[in-house]
Amino acid sequence: MIHFLDVANHTLFVYYFVCNLFYLTTLLIALKTSAAHQKRLKSFRLEWFKESPLVPPITVLAPAHNEERSIRVSVRNMLALDYAELEVIVINDGSVDSTLEQMIDEFKLEAVRAVYVPQVACAPVKALYRSAADPRLLVIDKESVGSKADAVNAGLNAATSPYVCVVDADSILEPDALLRIMVPVLNDPAQVIGVGGIVRVVNGSEIANGRLSRVRLPRKGFEVIQVVEYLRAFLIGREAWAQANMLTIISGAFGLFRTDLVRAVHGFRAEAIGEDFDLVARLHRYLLDREIPYRIQFVPDPVCWTEVPSDLKSLGRQRARWQKGLIDVLLKNRDMLFRRRYGRIGWIALPYMWVFELFAPVIEIGGIFTIVLAACLGVLNEKFCIEFLIYGYVFATMISIGSVLQEEVTYKRYNEWQDVLRLVSYCFFEHFPYRQLHMIWRLQGLWQFARGDLAWKPLKRQGLESAQSG
Amino acid sequence: MESTFRRLWTLGPAAFVVKVIIAAIVADALLLGFILLRRMYRRRYFARRDRRVFEFRQKWEQLLSGDIPYDAWRLDNFDRQIVEDIVLDAFEAANPVESARLLGFMRKTGLIEKRIFEARHYRGWQRMAALVALGRTRAPEGISALAEGLRDKHQETRHAALRGLARTASPEAAGEILTWVGERGLQAPALLIQNALINCCREAPRMLLPYLEHADREVREMLARVLGEIPVNSIENALIALAEDDLPEMRAAAARALSNAGHGQAVEALAELAKDPVWFVRLRAVVALGKIYDARAIRPLLQALTDSNRLVRMRAAEGLVDRKSELASIFAEAVAAQDRYGLYAYFAALENAGLRKQLEAQLQEQAAGGDSNAANLLATLAAGELKAPPPAPLLSGPEQPLAPAPAAMAPK
Repeated sequence: MIHFLDVANHTLFVYYFVCNLFYLTTLLIALKTSAAHQKRLKSFRLEWFKESPLVPPITVLAPAHNEERSIRVSVRNMLALDYAELEVIVINDGSVDSTLEQMIDEFKLEAVRAVYVPQVACAPVKALYRSAADPRLLVIDKESVGSKADAVNAGLNAATSPYVCVVDADSILEPDALLRIMVPVLNDPAQVIGVGGIVRVVNGSEIANGRLSRVRLPRKGFEVIQVVEYLRAFLIGREAWAQANMLTIISGAFGLFRTDLVRAVHGFRAEAIGEDFDLVARLHRYLLDREIPYRIQFVPDPVCWTEVPSDLKSLGRQRARWQKGLIDVLLKNRDMLFRRRYGRIGWIALPYMWVFELFAPVIEIGGIFTIVLAACLGVLNEKFCIEFLIYGYVFATMISIGSVLQEEVTYKRYNEWQDVLRLVSYCFFEHFPYRQLHMIWRLQGLWQFARGDLAWKPLKRQGLESAQSG
Repeated sequence: MESTFRRLWTLGPAAFVVKVIIAAIVADALLLGFILLRRMYRRRYFARRDRRVFEFRQKWEQLLSGDIPYDAWRLDNFDRQIVEDIVLDAFEAANPVESARLLGFMRKTGLIEKRIFEARHYRGWQRMAALVALGRTRAPEGISALAEGLRDKHQETRHAALRGLARTASPEAAGEILTWVGERGLQAPALLIQNALINCCREAPRMLLPYLEHADREVREMLARVLGEIPVNSIENALIALAEDDLPEMRAAAARALSNAGHGQAVEALAELAKDPVWFVRLRAVVALGKIYDARAIRPLLQALTDSNRLVRMRAAEGLVDRKSELASIFAEAVAAQDRYGLYAYFAALENAGLRKQLEAQLQEQAAGGDSNAANLLATLAAGELKAPPPAPLLSGPEQPLAPAPAAMAPK
């Protein structure tokens, strides 16, 4: 028993050490990549690119389910995007609130017949509407099967552009977000098949006329910690993984894909819990199976602002769902592991996801348990334990502050002194006690998955209308 | 002597952890310190910069006219950078007269010379910045330095040079780009080269023709797409010849270009292309026919309404609906074709264009005049489908899956 505890504690140390080394490496890569990206943008003037007649059209797909509190603001925001060839398709996914009525009223929707080919399977469509006020807007009213993926598939069937950009209907895109997300595509249209943009936290900020008018941090502490989490995940994690063409997730809140390829893999998997991760994994598989050269990129400057849970219960549900999505996709694609055909995806990216994402809650909670047990049995090397905990805490905090640094030296959206100070301060709370709480939620997700509890549980939202100031 | 590895080994994990903790604490403090110091520095820097920009803006006219001696600002890096930035920004919105004035100012102050020197002698990001600045000025004397940038070993620099040449919009720049493409092939994204050539060949599309005939397939296709985007009245005959090329990309580009070429023989050539075996050639031809307001374009558009490809049908319907004065007669022909998918596309285009009521009014007028066919057409319009055959499914149909279109050929 004592030997077991000793091995377990040392394993936990090695795990933490390797994990933090990974984070440190990604931080360094991300800092370098962002600096290069900033310089590159100086030669890539968006206004020149906007004038080009060759810029491919984009269809924005926005699934909406009971979004009456956000829908008007977000659709107005989408129609105001600065992009010449734009089509916006909002999919009303069986909303039982006034989402559709609000759109009919606001955008003067009229029932039309539009060319709709059910190439990708999805639930039945009830009606199609086009806006008399802005013909670029098409609304699909469909029955709900409780899946965002199914709604996106309906939009995919009606999309007429070579690229689709999937966004959440409760999100706000910055006016030049589509221009910016297209930069990698225009640099290499033959190979770039998907691009992810950064998703930031809108809670606390002010919105006027469908646009973000003032960026502020949220008031609640755990919302601020989510800001740090998002910064770390996007500005460090995705930036670095994309650099090595190993990006496995393009956020469902804001991602661009080549339409023909999404259709070729039969769209989003309706029963997937993490439909964004699932799609990217299937795209990797599809292209690697056929030995087609491709790149999936991440660009850190096209920004999508999204609302994050503002109560702990919703946050817990969200994180448990993410964990269920993770295990679902990893299990579905386990045959990609360590196969030569799948190259770095099979040898590095997916094993990383298994060890440092999927097993993280088991290892960390298990580790805490073995430490406590060892202490109870009086076999704990106290000096080593305290040093290890401090090390784990300080190192992880350094990575979090590093992500704030990355934000600071590159995009600097938080201009107020108080916001930066709060952001840095909350970096110190992220790894204790928030991290442990987070691990418990993730463990719950695994448990729910094991029990077959895959139901989508609603999250409480404030709605973008509540942030409207002008 | 003991190796570092051995020393670390003998220190044991506890000592190692202590060191890591200390290093991490120091790193945390440094990161925090860096963020705070950087904020302070940038705050002061931008406050100073804003002040100077305001001062320069206040006396901008004297600055441009030279009433303020150039040496008063150009010897100071900080001031020179501000003035150059203001001038370059002014170029973006300037009319030709203003552009010439700004260019004159940059020449007199030596800013152009400086940028040309940097573009020729610097490397890496600095060279790239110089090329971007040169491109923004649109100065003809910068073209050769920009052309040299096309041969840089760094991709980013080549892209900047290409964008800079595109900005000059001059045939001379087009010549440099074409020579470079001829020498080295496509060493930059095709879209970037196409964009540059579209800007630079507007005045002289003829210069593309020799390359279109002799370059390799990849370059020919790229150049054909360029040709499709620029007004080509002067080379209509060459385009008609191109419409018979073996490469579908070339035929598609010819179709696209012919929509800009005027009416003459273009309609006949486009009508032929609308029967092409390759779908995206037909699509381009149908889009072009839709743009040409010529009575001879209606027949091929009606035929395209029964095409096997839904995008072709959709574009044909849009082209037909666009002829507002002939809505009723065209609708009669569309119904007479007895193609439910074609009619569905027509209804979709009609509703999307908000013209359903107009068509209804035209038909009612004809029906009131005793036209029995008009009454039938009104019934079809109300039903939204053909009378006899099985009903057209509203939201489904055994459509052919779309073959992926090349990005540049995608429907617009």
